[in-house]
Amino acid sequence: MSAELATPAAEEKKEFWRWQENTWFDESKNWRDAKIITCGIDVGSVSSQAVICCDGELFGYNSMRTGNNSPDSAKNALQGILDKTGMKLEDIHYTVGTGYGRVNVPFANKAVTEIACHARGANYMGGSKVRTILDMGGQDCKAIHCDERGKVTNFLMNDKCAAGTGRGMEVIADLMQIPIANLGPRSFDVETEPEAVSSICVVFAKSEALALLKAGYTKNMVIAAYCQAMAERVVSLLERIGVEEGFFITGGIAKNPGVVKRIERLLGIQAVETKIDSQIAGALGASLFAYTLMQKQAKAA
Amino acid sequence: MNDGLFDQFKTWYEKRHDYARAWKARTGGQVVATMCTYTPEELLIAAGMLPVRVLGAHEPQNVTEPHIFGMFCPFCRDSLAQGLLGRFDYAEGVTLTQSCIQYRQTFNSWRMHVPSVQWDYYVPMPNDVQSPHAKKAHYAEVQSFREFLGVLTGKPLTDEMLKEALAVCDENRRLLRELFDYRKQSNPQVTGVEALYASITAQFVDKREHNAELKKVLAAMKTRDLNRSEGVRFMTIGSENDDIAFMAMIESVGGTIVIDDQCSGTRYFWNASKDDGDVIKAIAERYCDRPACPTKDYPAHTRFDHVLGLAKDYGVQGAIFLQQKFCDPHEGDYPDLKRHLEDNGIPTLFLEFDITNPIGPFRIRVEAFLETLGEEELF
Repeated sequence: MSAELATPAAEEKKEFWRWQENTWFDESKNWRDAKIITCGIDVGSVSSQAVICCDGELFGYNSMRTGNNSPDSAKNALQGILDKTGMKLEDIHYTVGTGYGRVNVPFANKAVTEIACHARGANYMGGSKVRTILDMGGQDCKAIHCDERGKVTNFLMNDKCAAGTGRGMEVIADLMQIPIANLGPRSFDVETEPEAVSSICVVFAKSEALALLKAGYTKNMVIAAYCQAMAERVVSLLERIGVEEGFFITGGIAKNPGVVKRIERLLGIQAVETKIDSQIAGALGASLFAYTLMQKQAKAA
Repeated sequence: MNDGLFDQFKTWYEKRHDYARAWKARTGGQVVATMCTYTPEELLIAAGMLPVRVLGAHEPQNVTEPHIFGMFCPFCRDSLAQGLLGRFDYAEGVTLTQSCIQYRQTFNSWRMHVPSVQWDYYVPMPNDVQSPHAKKAHYAEVQSFREFLGVLTGKPLTDEMLKEALAVCDENRRLLRELFDYRKQSNPQVTGVEALYASITAQFVDKREHNAELKKVLAAMKTRDLNRSEGVRFMTIGSENDDIAFMAMIESVGGTIVIDDQCSGTRYFWNASKDDGDVIKAIAERYCDRPACPTKDYPAHTRFDHVLGLAKDYGVQGAIFLQQKFCDPHEGDYPDLKRHLEDNGIPTLFLEFDITNPIGPFRIRVEAFLETLGEEELF
């Protein structure tokens, strides 16, 4: 009976929003040689990262989607890199938690805000000349000023809306049924640059995108209109705080050239480039803070 | 540590409507919903009434849209909602003293659409209190209000009645300042939350009862030991704020609010009246001379140096602007006041308040602000 009533296997639903989770470590180094091993865990609203530093240098990281709760997300993110390197939790001397779940990282010695950690991480990734940081996170966006050490001197956050954030881009990827990693390149494949869609609300932007499709826009034009809207949104945030030379973008959206190039065009400034995954900036900053704290703790002892 | 010293103020705050109803039942007097702290409460008290400042409830509401615009400040919308929802059904009267135009329309909607209102009175206080004519003009307005209340109650307000009421109010102001003086100390013996409970309840509790409670608290203050680390000393700046959860959050993450420039705090009680044979003059001029709200602070910006003076006197390390969304007078002052403070070594943080506030995102901002002020240990 049950066999007769069984429905055919549901067609697999493609998740166009799903960005690439990844794990990396520096195979040229042996972590056992390090005197101080530190960890930074960034539990964000959309993604979680664990970064391991050996003697204050990036050694490895794991970046994955945030799960149902912060403690498990932190554990899973860390386990990913531990498994890859053969390290154990006990080998880590100091851990700093950051991100919105920072106070729920069970094995963290200290919690530091993601604002401070992104500035410190950007300072490592882009060098001491970095002064203005744009963190385009999963569900919020921050403009940060820092000094030559990566210490925050001023900051602004967006208010109560996912417009200009990674989650907004995921919504558009699903709507267009185009893998999220392809959105940026495809946004340039247009004959003329379209007007931006709404930059104040993801829900409005989604409705506008649908209307544009019905009005005959190609998917690429809609994506371009959305990337432009996102760029305008974050530039308005940046202009409130002011942009200084040494401009650096962190967070998942930094991997989307469709948004980054448009931000650069609007600001008339080039973002500092890096070879390191921009999404790990917060966890990297946390790991570097952990290193400093551990050094100070050792000195005090 | 909670020694319960401020529990009475907390209870009054949380059960303010119950308090007003009980007061009415006990005394048989009228209750008056007051809008704006420029309202000359002395006259209402002299007339045997209980002035109760209208505060919001910090809850989502859907009743004000037909009456005032959604882009009116959250405090106006939340205040009007309380009237429309019948939460002030015990208040026969409603008064407003002129401050901002959004508040005035809130008042007009209240007097027209809150069914329990039996009378209303608008005090058209000059906004240009710096004008040489302001005090004379306000004298006349306070005198008119006195006459109105005399006719309303059928009992003219004598100078003696007014002097007695003024003395009670001035005592309340003096006691609150005495309490706030304890916040100047390092590791203050009064938290920002406690100070807010004390100052906000003065705006709706019978002043005589409030004074008695303040005296009790002050008597215990000398030996009080809160046994908490003060962390960073903050000042709050803005219009009305009684978001206790927000204040408590600040004081739970490594800060202490040591002073404010808000009408829920110091602006309400900071100055006492000047001794004068003419009691109406003493009352009227006290309101003209009080620390100014931005609506009454032009052409000279007197509040900039006043705020800086408070910051210095109370050892403030960081100032947090609590900006009610769409509050034009405060937002207009913000850029220059921010610059004035920062030029004088007081870093600032700007937060935009709505009827309900997101504590989580605000916490990130406050913690990050704390990190910019300290956290050298991280470098």
